[in-house]
Amino acid sequence: MSTDDESFHPLGSEWEDELETMLDDTEYDTELGMQMAQDAFRVSKGELSEAEFHEKYHDDVMEEFGEDERPTKEAYQKMQAEASEEGTVSRMLSKFEGDGEESRRDAMKKMGAGAAAVGLGAWGTVDDGPEEPPQPSAGDTAAQADEDEDDGVQWGMAIDLDRCDGCLTCVSGCASENQLDSGVNWMYVLQYDDPSATGEGSELARPAGAAANRLVRPCQHCTDAPCEKVCPTTARHTRDKDGLVLTDYDVCIGCRYCQVACPYGVNYFQWDEPDVPADAIKEHYEEEGMGDHMTDDRGRWVDSRAPRGVMSKCTMCPTRQDGQMGEGQVGTTACEEACPTGAIQFGDMNDPESDPQKYEDNPARGRTLWRVNPPSADELEEDLDGVDDDLESVLEATDLEEDELTLIKAVDIVSDGLYDGDEELHSHDLDYHERNFREALDALADHGLDHDSEEVLVGLGLADETDEDEEFDGPDERDAQMELEAFTGSPDSNFRLLEEYDTNPNVIYMGQQPGPNAEQTEPTGTGARYEQLSYDTVTDGEIQIVDNRKDVLDEDTVGGGLFS
Amino acid sequence: MSTKTPNEQDILRPIGIDKISKPYLALFGVASLAFGIFLIGWFYQLWVGMSVTGLSDWGTGGGVTWGLYIGAFIWWVGIAHGGIILSAAVRLLGMDRYMPVARLAEMLTLAGLSAAGFYIIVHMGRPDRMVTSVIGHYHITVNNSPLVWDVTVITAYFVLTATYLGLTLRYDVTRMRDQLPDLFEPIYKIMTIGYSEKEDKVIERMVWWVALAIIIMAPLLLHGGVIPWLFALLPTYPGWFGAIQGPQFLTIALTSAISGVILVSYAFRRAYDWDHIITDDIFRGLLLWLGFFCLLFLWLQLQQLTAGSFSATIDHQAATASKLSHPAYIVPMLMVVGVLAYIFATTLRPSLFNKKRAIGAAVLVLIATLVEKTYFVVAGLWYPAFDIYSATPGEYFPSLIELSSVLGTIGMVTLFFLVISKLVPVVELHAIEHLRGDHGHGEHEHEEPAESATDSEVKA
Ligand code: SF4
Ligand code: SF4
Repeated sequence: MSTDDESFHPLGSEWEDELETMLDDTEYDTELGMQMAQDAFRVSKGELSEAEFHEKYHDDVMEEFGEDERPTKEAYQKMQAEASEEGTVSRMLSKFEGDGEESRRDAMKKMGAGAAAVGLGAWGTVDDGPEEPPQPSAGDTAAQADEDEDDGVQWGMAIDLDRCDGCLTCVSGCASENQLDSGVNWMYVLQYDDPSATGEGSELARPAGAAANRLVRPCQHCTDAPCEKVCPTTARHTRDKDGLVLTDYDVCIGCRYCQVACPYGVNYFQWDEPDVPADAIKEHYEEEGMGDHMTDDRGRWVDSRAPRGVMSKCTMCPTRQDGQMGEGQVGTTACEEACPTGAIQFGDMNDPESDPQKYEDNPARGRTLWRVNPPSADELEEDLDGVDDDLESVLEATDLEEDELTLIKAVDIVSDGLYDGDEELHSHDLDYHERNFREALDALADHGLDHDSEEVLVGLGLADETDEDEEFDGPDERDAQMELEAFTGSPDSNFRLLEEYDTNPNVIYMGQQPGPNAEQTEPTGTGARYEQLSYDTVTDGEIQIVDNRKDVLDEDTVGGGLFS
Repeated sequence: MSTKTPNEQDILRPIGIDKISKPYLALFGVASLAFGIFLIGWFYQLWVGMSVTGLSDWGTGGGVTWGLYIGAFIWWVGIAHGGIILSAAVRLLGMDRYMPVARLAEMLTLAGLSAAGFYIIVHMGRPDRMVTSVIGHYHITVNNSPLVWDVTVITAYFVLTATYLGLTLRYDVTRMRDQLPDLFEPIYKIMTIGYSEKEDKVIERMVWWVALAIIIMAPLLLHGGVIPWLFALLPTYPGWFGAIQGPQFLTIALTSAISGVILVSYAFRRAYDWDHIITDDIFRGLLLWLGFFCLLFLWLQLQQLTAGSFSATIDHQAATASKLSHPAYIVPMLMVVGVLAYIFATTLRPSLFNKKRAIGAAVLVLIATLVEKTYFVVAGLWYPAFDIYSATPGEYFPSLIELSSVLGTIGMVTLFFLVISKLVPVVELHAIEHLRGDHGHGEHEHEEPAESATDSEVKA
């Protein structure tokens, strides 16, 4: 580290080089980023005012990131008022975005790379002179930028296709929650053949081995939803507070243009009188103290099955998100709750700490959390009573296998910390599993097993042994990550469906991406067939789940027997 | 009835209740029946729900969500749009030869737009909300929704055409007021409110300007613009997407409108012995124009087939392959090719022309455009970019109610002509005046016995 070279950054030219490489890896202009970083430092030293900084880069930022207006005077004053002692680059950068909610979201995504480019991570350490160069990743800094901006919630999902068993529990879970008619598969799972599929990467994801190519298909709740754009009535709309794309059943005229415009085929028109009456749904949920499961907090009818003559589709459970079904259900969906493998991770896509974001950041970690079930703290305590506190004795005395403990510790190592709050959690929350992991580790530590010690870590293969004159420098994150991936694999790819059409879907997939020649096979799902499933309605009836809705609808078609 | 001089009495002949003939009543009965059957079907659809149609959801629904209703909607808008272009061209470009059918074309436009509007209502799941939901949010949705543009433009064209027709009718009604039946006095009164001869010049100029506006807007609106944009703006449907749909739709509008005008004119000529007004010459001319637009129609289809198969993306290839193998595409194309071949042949050998064949050509073109447009709608949904749902492929065959809607709206349009022809002259006075001015081509061939007198019967 040197401060006497020509570099502008207190961490010296080495750090700048690193910055430059990082910038080269992004799609954004390296020179601009470097220059902005330089000037950002000048702002921190008081050589340049924030206003001047904006003045100077407004146009460039516009051009580079495609966003937007520069701060208005009011916004600027507000920003000043809110500003903490040390201004952060991310906050300054965030002022380049526009006012629109959409553009703000967009901007923040794009800011990620830009923020990383100007060395945001190093910012806070300027004064004290850092001991070692921090290693901000684009993800981290984007996260930080996101936090700075009170950006609102955008519900969405991360779906790990390699983990899908094809059991269709999510399909029936959704149908049951929303009392859907036969064939109305808001949530749908399909299996497909694809000549371009490698099939790689999924072998380790499940104990059962490689999964068939599957696609779990809810509505994508697109940020730029074509269905909403074409709607002649605004019935199809995006809910401001959380980005859910919903249909107002009281406004829709049933023109079906949304279904036509949606590229994904996720819409289901209510062709006839639905099987379960609205009153029955209302009564049922009200009895449970869960609202009517139809009207959201704005008083618009957007949830549960649609009435006759209007459009419906996956809603991502708005009445749950409104807390009508209890605080514990906020941030969950019926399908996520039903999925036994954790393939569906629902949460706020704008929150780096949400389940889908954390899972997507490190799928091997997420999978391991779901797949490994450590003994409870109580069990461990019981088993360890009177046992020595060395690794071997501990393993012998408990149900913990060595590789299990390795994985648990590996998850701990690659995490920024495991959940230690006291919220009411469900098994479909990632935090629930984190807590189990942490409690197990804590129980071991309480017993006296120092799982951060060189001895234990080396014993588990999570750290390198040190020579006598060296100081032990903790666990090896790379080893830990490798352990996780060796156990449960890492998805082949990470994609959004039909991204090229610019719909900005809020569902991220992990696993095999269906190619243009992908063709659905029958029967769908290895675990179950659609026709084998049914659910009990709130009116004590039974509704059959059906794959092809046409089979159901044809019963009503006036064909006069001509075309059958 | 050979070389007669057209006079006012000729064009007044259909008007008045007392002029109702047995064939008129019979046709009225048939048309009402066709319309009535469909209305019953529609009420049943309102009662049970749209599941009575052959439609379903695309995706996992194993069907298509838009079908014959939308195909027929496009078809009627096309006929209407072409009709008004035809009439505007007559006024603007001085194509005086067609003056006797100009008003029929305008009326066809009004009738066609009404049928199209009716289809919008019939197609909807909740037609009762049309006003509250669409008008209530108009200021927002007009920015984005092609469907709202459609409704706007259809309404605008309806108003424009009605004004246009109304203006020229004022002239006629005032001139011929004495010979018009007193029974409809109030209607004529309203139509001619504030009329003075001084306005003729002004009206003439206004009509000219409106005609100009119609011609200029023709490639932008209705079948040149907003109707094809319903489809052409959706990139995830390779069968629909692309800049060619505007021109393609416009050719469909013009071919089907000319065909419609041929049929309607023929019906009136036969019913009222108007062979000296709507002359063979007019049919020959219309047929030539039909040939020209058929050629354009086929040419644009060819463009699509070539671009869609040479080196297209996978989804686009699939969409094109379907065209090349599906009877609902191939048969209409062959029909148009056949019509074109016939029309070419008549230019080489004029003796091949006769009105019966001209009628046949018109009917073939109308069937072809209806089938092709319905196929276009349905096949677009069959071959989306996201073509993965092979276990639930889209199947579609229109239900009896949907099929009856075509006959029903043809009946509705026929009724429109039957009623309006009792009220006002369907041939304008100007045309008679004009014909009298340069009359003289008395060439005439004897009427061949046509088995059916009216467009609707032919089409049915
Ligand atoms: S997937 Fe996107 S376009 Fe389709 S219905 Fe959902 S939000 Fe609309
Ligand atoms: S069906 Fe309803 S929600 Fe869909 S576009 Fe039409 S009015 Fe809008």
